[in-house]
This record gives sequence, C-alpha cells and structure tokens, in this order.
Amino acid sequence: MSAFEGQLAGWMTAAPVAKSVDKSQTIAQLVAEYSTTLYRVAFSVTRNAAEAEDAVQETFVRVLKHESRLDEIRDYRVWLVRIVWNVVLDRKRRAKTRPENEDVADYARTLPSGERNADDVAISSQEHARILALVDRLPSREREALLLSAVQELTTAEIAAMLHTTESSIRSRIFRARRELAVLLEKEGIQR
Amino acid sequence: MMDDQRVQTELDGQIDAALRAIGSVAPAAGMEGRILTRLAEARSGADQPVRSTHRVFRFMVPLAGIASASLVCGVIVVASVNHSHRPHPGMVAPPPILEMQGGVGAASAVHPAPPASAAPVPAGPAARGRSTHKTAQHGRARIAPHAKRAPGVALPATPAGSPQ
Repeated sequence: MSAFEGQLAGWMTAAPVAKSVDKSQTIAQLVAEYSTTLYRVAFSVTRNAAEAEDAVQETFVRVLKHESRLDEIRDYRVWLVRIVWNVVLDRKRRAKTRPENEDVADYARTLPSGERNADDVAISSQEHARILALVDRLPSREREALLLSAVQELTTAEIAAMLHTTESSIRSRIFRARRELAVLLEKEGIQR
Repeated sequence: MMDDQRVQTELDGQIDAALRAIGSVAPAAGMEGRILTRLAEARSGADQPVRSTHRVFRFMVPLAGIASASLVCGVIVVASVNHSHRPHPGMVAPPPILEMQGGVGAASAVHPAPPASAAPVPAGPAARGRSTHKTAQHGRARIAPHAKRAPGVALPATPAGSPQ
C-alpha cells in the first residue's frame, strides 16, 4: 500500500456514504471549492506563489488517480489539506532549502493590500517575511500547528484531525509557538 | 510592568498580522483553470493505450533478467565442477586399486594389491643398519686427547696403557 493509499484509507468512512457522487463533476467541484484553501496551506510552507500553485495541482492529480474511491471520503477538506500538506513537506524535504521567499515584490503581490499604498505594503511585507523566517526556527510540531492555525478556513478540530492529535494538544502547541516566537522577536529586535 | 504588557501586546499584534497575511493570500488569477487543464492532460495521458513497444519492453525486461541470471548460474556451476576435477599439484596419487573379477560381496569386491612376497627379506653381507655406533672397546666412548672441550668441563685423564 502506498503512502497515498494509506492516507486515503485513514480518511474513509467505515461504511460508504449514502450520497452517490458524480465523479466526472466531483473533482471540478473540489477544485472550485477548496483550491484557495489548499493554496494558502501550501503557501504557508513554501512562501512562494508558483511552488504553492504547483503543489495544489499535484494534489489534485493525486486525487484524480484515486477518483474511484472519492465517494468513500468522509471529510473532503481535511483530506485534501492533508494531501497538500504532505506534498509541500515532501518537496521541502527533497529541496533541503529553507521555505522563505527572498523576492519581496513577489511576496507583496500575493498579500492582500487593502487600502494601503505600495510603500506600506512593501514595508509590512518585509516585516512579515522576517517574522515568518523566525517561525521557521520553531520546533516542527509547534511550527506546523501555528502555520495551519493561520489558515482561516481551518478550525482547531480540523487541524487536530490532520495532525492526528487532540484539540487541546493543538491549542497548547499554538500557545507555545507564539510564546517562543515572541521571545525570538525580542531577541532579534525587530522594529516595533 | 506596563511597558512589558505594551511590548507583549505589540509582539502579539505583529505575529497576528504576519499570520493573517499568510493565511489570507490570494492565488494568482486563473489558478482553477490551470488546475483543470493539468487534470485534463493527466486524464488524457492515463486514457491513452499503452504502445506496443512499451508492451514488448515490459515483457522483455523480466525475460532478459531471467536469461542473464540463468547464464551466470550456469557459468558458476561449470567453473566449480572444472575446479573440483583438477588435481592439486602437491597432492600424492593414491595407491592403485586392484579390482577383482568375480567378487561376490561388497567386502570382497575391492582388494588392495598384495605385496610381491610376504616372507621377510634377509639382510645381505654388506647390509647394515641405518646407523652405526663407533665405539671403542668395552663399549666406552673414546675421546681424543686434544679434543676441543667446553670451558669449565673436567675430563678424566686417559690411562697410559689404554689404546688410542
């Protein structure tokens, strides 16, 4: 059994859901509904727009290979987030590079600008990039919980299901991560 | 105290802002279309029949592997047999075995070659033993008067009338 099939088995219901799914339309619906969430999850690790999009595409290609079993999936969102999370972590492991984006302009382009002018956006993007570089120095368990908690669509329960742990564990990891991050920020003396 | 709280609040605000920024990034326009295009390409690639060359190659690879493994095994066996049949240069040939014609049982089937004569051979007049003790009369050893002797070893004086 491959790793992907193992993931698939983990997210299957004990009994198939009663609702019959039209497979030809299902993947397109999944793309329309979850691609942005998956992109944000991928971007939280890669910090690179092109790599994040490529990871999302690879996620759906993997789903396509197992589309015959789609109607057995219990929770599509958690399942898809789990797949894209594994994809980006695999890539990061293979690349052996730090997940940071040196191109501030590219980074600023991807962030929501709101009503601010271009200079403000660039400065805040640099500050965010520095903070996220410090996030990468956190222990992996705390870092993963913190990054996933940043994705607005994911609840604590979903993050806990993704990381195979409990909600209280996730909350304590996030608390520890924020506390350590604040210490690192003070040490680095980031402009306040 | 108030300063610490203010600093902590500011740090929390910065962390929240960075996390909010990363958690609300928007993908480039048209991402869904690109994903669907790639999925269509992947689907069409999966639907294409396997080419005949690929099919032949798929069958040929295991066959070639089996054939090469058999060849290697055969070479090993032949070389091993040849090596075991070659006599060692330092090895003495075993005595000839006389095969008796018309033996009955297994014990009488093979007999070693009998010696030419079972009777002992008498020694001739010139024959002598393997070693000869050159002793003087009365069975005593004779020592030359100027024999080199080890220092500190006393030798008895030779009697005057004894033969040299």
